[in-house]
Amino acid sequence: MIRFEQVSKVYTGGQKALSDVSFHLKRGEMAFLTGHSGAGKSTLLKLITVIERANGGKVSINGHDIAKLRRAQVPYLRRDIGMIFQNHHLLMEKSVFDNVALPLIIEGFSHGEIRKRVAGALDMVGLYGKERHHPIMLSGGEQQRVGIARAIVNKPPLLLADEPTGNLDPKLSMDILRLFETFNDSGTTVLIATHDLGLIARMKYRTLTLKQGRVLGAQELDQSDSLGAY
Amino acid sequence: MNKQPQLTRSKLPISGQIVMFFIRHIQHAMASLGELWRNPISSLMTMAVLGVSLSLPAALQVLVKNAETITQSWNSAAEISLFVDEGRSEKSIQSLIARLKVYPEVAEVNYINRDQALEEFQRLSGFGEALSYLDVNPLPAVVMVTPSLKYSSATGARELLRKLEQEAEVSFGRLDIEWLERLQAVVRLLERTVLAIAALLVLAVVLVIGNTIRLAIMNRRTEIEVMKLVGATEAFIRRPFLYTGIWFGIIGGILAWVIINLLVWYLDSALAELLGLYGSQLHMESLTLTELGQLVLLASFLGWLGSYLSVRQHLRAIEPS
Repeated sequence: MIRFEQVSKVYTGGQKALSDVSFHLKRGEMAFLTGHSGAGKSTLLKLITVIERANGGKVSINGHDIAKLRRAQVPYLRRDIGMIFQNHHLLMEKSVFDNVALPLIIEGFSHGEIRKRVAGALDMVGLYGKERHHPIMLSGGEQQRVGIARAIVNKPPLLLADEPTGNLDPKLSMDILRLFETFNDSGTTVLIATHDLGLIARMKYRTLTLKQGRVLGAQELDQSDSLGAY
Repeated sequence: MNKQPQLTRSKLPISGQIVMFFIRHIQHAMASLGELWRNPISSLMTMAVLGVSLSLPAALQVLVKNAETITQSWNSAAEISLFVDEGRSEKSIQSLIARLKVYPEVAEVNYINRDQALEEFQRLSGFGEALSYLDVNPLPAVVMVTPSLKYSSATGARELLRKLEQEAEVSFGRLDIEWLERLQAVVRLLERTVLAIAALLVLAVVLVIGNTIRLAIMNRRTEIEVMKLVGATEAFIRRPFLYTGIWFGIIGGILAWVIINLLVWYLDSALAELLGLYGSQLHMESLTLTELGQLVLLASFLGWLGSYLSVRQHLRAIEPS
């Protein structure tokens, strides 16, 4: 699903963010991406979502070589990626319904279909019946779940989460992770960037650890290796 | 993983895509209108600026149009006077008239014989008494020729005059249209001035709308970023702004039309009084319904253009980070 081959990224100004990063996340897999702030987690996610492009190496997402992707094709690639952000990126002046419906409106679904799918997505994250609320009226955890509902509403094959539990207490964090597991069970590939090592330790998933722009350890890291190396 | 699968543009069937395309456009158009409605003060200010800017060239257009109607009524008054050679018999003059009448360029022929000419001269010149002392009538017979509509313009009438002067019985002809030519030159100058001013104001309209749309884009920066993140195409993001521009244009155009009508109504009574002194019954004409349509169409195009230029420049700059 996500394949990096000797990928490097240098920002204009000479700041080296990633060097020689190679890994492969298979279809239907769930993995964590970890490392200190500044280790290159955000850059890696930006390369996957084509917010940035690599200077060297090859990035393939869902079988598409990013280097060959024209600017006009980027939106269609992004529709296959559900993205969840630490600060939710919700539109505060719009209702929960409008926020979650956005990807469907963009893809041109009919109104009835949108209504059905939004209700389904909100139900899945436990916010059923809060369509008419505004994000500002919800708690931090609820806002995060609105963001998750928006990411999964068009059933993308790939789910990316950048510090999804950053502002939440441990119990809420666990709830969110259980939610990701449910999506993964239904076949969605999931990659979660986090520095919450306690959380990772409690789960039995593969972990990619970044340090100063490099991936630590072998390609197929298991949990204990990565923690040891960290 | 080696082959590059085609990125599907949409997951919907083609028929659904086509239907949704139109529904989206209508929805976007309505949403843009709603957006304007929710910010009435700033929207109204922009529309007022557009209305005033558009009303000026439109007012000048009305002015030119009215000037044209007036000069046209003078235009058709262009008559050619043909003075007949002295000593021609009445019979040969009649045959000349008969020949003139079959000219395709000639609409009407009036014959004033020597006696009538003298009578008219006596009546109008004030030399009545003195003329009666003359032994012979010094005035030639005159044939007044009215050119057909096609030849009533200055150049057309001149051309016809040259042709008529070839007739054997005609001594010479006169065409008193120099003043008309001057007037037409003035009108042409006026038209060109109007065109130049209109071009400037049209540019102003495009700039005003462009700037308004730029501000709207800045205000919705976060929304645009999120839309780009969840896979919205440039066209999708652009569309509401383009519709906003078009609405600005349409409403600005209608506002300009209202202003023009008020202006015409205000000027008409004064003008009617002035023309009344000259014995004319002319009224000032406002814009016709077709012209209103053209004005609104032009305005909406300018709105679209202004927002398109703005959107093209500023949307690219907003990328999620």
